[in-house]
Amino acid sequence: MIARLLPGLVTRLIAWAGLIYLVVPLAVIIGSSFTATSYLAFPPKGLSLTWYLAMLQDPSYGRAFAISTALAAVATLAAVLLAVPAALAMARYRFAGRDLLSSFFMSPLVLPHVVLGAAILQCAASIGLVRSVGALLAGHVVIVMPLVLRSVLPLLTPEQRALEEASMDLGAGPFTTFFLVVVPQIRGGLVSGAVLAFISSWINVELSIFSTTAELTTIPVKLFNYVQYTVDPTIAAVSAVTILVAASSIVLLDLLVGLDVLAERR
Amino acid sequence: MNTMAHQQRALWGLLSAPVLVLAAFFAIPMAVVAVASFGDAAGRFTLAQYAKILLDQYHWEVLATTLRIAALTTVWCLLLGFPLAYYLVRLVRWRLWRRVCVILLITPLFTSNVVRSFGWMVLLGRNGMVNDGLLAAGLVERPVRWLGTEAGILIGMVYVLLPFVVLAVGNALAAVDDRLEQASADLGAGPYATFMHITLPLCMPGVIGGAVMVFTLAISAYVTPALLSGGRVTVFSMLIFQQYSSVFDFHYGGALSMTLLVITLLLVALAGRLAPRETAP
Repeated sequence: MIARLLPGLVTRLIAWAGLIYLVVPLAVIIGSSFTATSYLAFPPKGLSLTWYLAMLQDPSYGRAFAISTALAAVATLAAVLLAVPAALAMARYRFAGRDLLSSFFMSPLVLPHVVLGAAILQCAASIGLVRSVGALLAGHVVIVMPLVLRSVLPLLTPEQRALEEASMDLGAGPFTTFFLVVVPQIRGGLVSGAVLAFISSWINVELSIFSTTAELTTIPVKLFNYVQYTVDPTIAAVSAVTILVAASSIVLLDLLVGLDVLAERR
Repeated sequence: MNTMAHQQRALWGLLSAPVLVLAAFFAIPMAVVAVASFGDAAGRFTLAQYAKILLDQYHWEVLATTLRIAALTTVWCLLLGFPLAYYLVRLVRWRLWRRVCVILLITPLFTSNVVRSFGWMVLLGRNGMVNDGLLAAGLVERPVRWLGTEAGILIGMVYVLLPFVVLAVGNALAAVDDRLEQASADLGAGPYATFMHITLPLCMPGVIGGAVMVFTLAISAYVTPALLSGGRVTVFSMLIFQQYSSVFDFHYGGALSMTLLVITLLLVALAGRLAPRETAP
């Protein structure tokens, strides 16, 4: 009897330990951001919003949040505008070098970000654009485009193609067909790809750090540079805000397309 | 109606922008680094940069540390991640709880490595919760030094990369038809035999895929080791970062970058061979 129940019990115990392990560091950050002490304390001693006020009073945080958000939004938009045509070409046409091109489009996914960051720094240096908005954006577009491509491509199936042809046969032009037939069909992949792209850009450090300056800096890079030298409750408050953004995007994703990961398919 | 020329034009219309952007911002920068790695300050062709890396004991030590941390990270991620994935896909019966668990799993993935490693800096500090807990439980007599040790980095790395394994294994498990497992049980196989001969082999692509993803991300990780090493442990990506951010030796830095890139690509290629090809529909 025990021998039959034991594997399930051990699996549950490890799984619960894993879940606790996943939650604790984030809970500690959120908890200690509310401390009334001037040092990081967990569980928080007292309850205050002092450190959130301190964050709001320092305009450099607002600026970094704004830069991160604008960068992620533009990179995501560019990625969608590049990945959708690329996906259509991959799904529709058989041409020489198609597999090679597909690997080329996907390769930023396996490329170490530190290496790409260094490469962009070196290239930008040679044309005098080192540590600029352009250099920052270029790298982000490269790393997020495959995420959109990967989530849109599987939806461009032969069945999807058939509806598109039906629309054209019934007299709709290519643009009408694209916006009224193709876009609704790939909407799910488009939304989840775009949210993933936005977040990947928003949290990136390894690539951004090669193109940021004291003025032009994203929120994770600013946090990274700060945390290396000191840790204080303001940093916990800023970090807590980023966790809130993460949680909100997941809820958004769940509402828009539904998080059906890990559900058993029957 | 659709002539060859028409198709060619449509194809180029779709592909030109993405190809141009990736060529300009990805292929060309990588080529520039590759070319620089085979040169010196005077612009001559030389293999000196690679010789410097390959013949120097220090680089081999850093590489060994990097690979050791990456390998241990992968092993721990699998040991923790497989049961967690199995639990989420097979054992959780209450759908709301599974939804909560999935959110708990993905929230860290949507949070910057900086924030996540910062959480561990607080937890693993001299007076952090981990030491407090260990002292209170009487497991240690003095606070353990975690920050600046490979163990500390490992704890942070496993934490950062665990969700990838859970998602990869979980998705593979969810696709396994549980009627196969029932058939195995009906035919007299015990739970252990069913697991070893049916479940595990069927979700092996997910396990290998997750493991490779974790390993490649771990060997190139920079933020987590940088924050948890306290400058006491050096991994390969830190060498690259030093060259590009403070030393400004693009030739030597280029050779370091190429070395990391080649190691990564070799691993990805190796994994492609290892992964069992799906033969059944």
